[in-house]
Amino acid sequence: MKLTTGFIALLLCTSLLGGCAQFESKRGVEVNWQSTVTEQLVNGQSTRRDVLAMLGPPSQVIALDGESALYYLFEHSEGEGLVLILYNSMRIDTRYDRAIFFFDENDVLTEFATRLYPADEG
Amino acid sequence: MRASTVKTLVTLLACWLLTACSQWHYDLGVPLADTPAPAQHTSLADALDLLGPPLRMSATDTGFVLAWEHWHIRENSVGFSLGALGADFMSADWGEMRIKGEFLLLTFDKDHLLTSATRSEWDNHGGGGKAIQPFFGFISVVDVDDLTEMMPQHRWGSALFQRLPGTLNANSNLDTGQSGLQQRGTPTAAGQQSLEMD
Repeated sequence: MKLTTGFIALLLCTSLLGGCAQFESKRGVEVNWQSTVTEQLVNGQSTRRDVLAMLGPPSQVIALDGESALYYLFEHSEGEGLVLILYNSMRIDTRYDRAIFFFDENDVLTEFATRLYPADEG
Repeated sequence: MRASTVKTLVTLLACWLLTACSQWHYDLGVPLADTPAPAQHTSLADALDLLGPPLRMSATDTGFVLAWEHWHIRENSVGFSLGALGADFMSADWGEMRIKGEFLLLTFDKDHLLTSATRSEWDNHGGGGKAIQPFFGFISVVDVDDLTEMMPQHRWGSALFQRLPGTLNANSNLDTGQSGLQQRGTPTAAGQQSLEMD
């Protein structure tokens, strides 16, 4: 009987000690490339100065033999976990908000693209 | 209480006290499965409309390369330790990893026209191990750090401020966007980064 009681107590303790975890990690440049901002940009007219003024310093500058590209990246990870002592599970989702802008040798915008996940719109 | 019942309870108790398992799931990016690779001579503007901004980019001698990727990594491990009984001198661990992913690489010429598109998908066993370790657990039987690290764009600014072996190899640094690109988990003991080992 003592053993049964001990076993039940152990089960109870294990249940009580179980828990959950949640975390969030954000890395990269501030997201300023919402569509309301980038719709002001026009291929063939806007310049690198315009883009830098709107979005700030990029994550990376890439030289392309006379041309150049500005790359903006914001990395957002969210994790959720279940901690049951005997069984532990963690799920981490990472999403990449990003924008890229190509400029010709005169620093005029030639192409650009942006991607923003709904959770980061705000 | 019958002896068999006692035995069963003792076995269950031991199992509860001594073992535990962990599962980690990493999902990096979004799947590309429904996105077709663009046809040759597609313009850069059309490719960006279709796929959005790439996750990796680098200049090349003939133009530039863009890459999109999605990774799903699952790590399972089971551990057995006597620590819970006050005898923290022995532990046994088993772990394995499964890697699933997609990679799309597009090459553009200097006129911003697509010259090649290649795509790969994989669903592989990514390794694992077993260990019996007395007193201290030094070895992790599953290591996913090189697959889950942050994107290289975050390190771009510090690329020329590395320790000497890395700085000397700056022209071949794959994080600068000027010398090609590489997938996650590429071994660093061979190829362009081998000079950086110290």
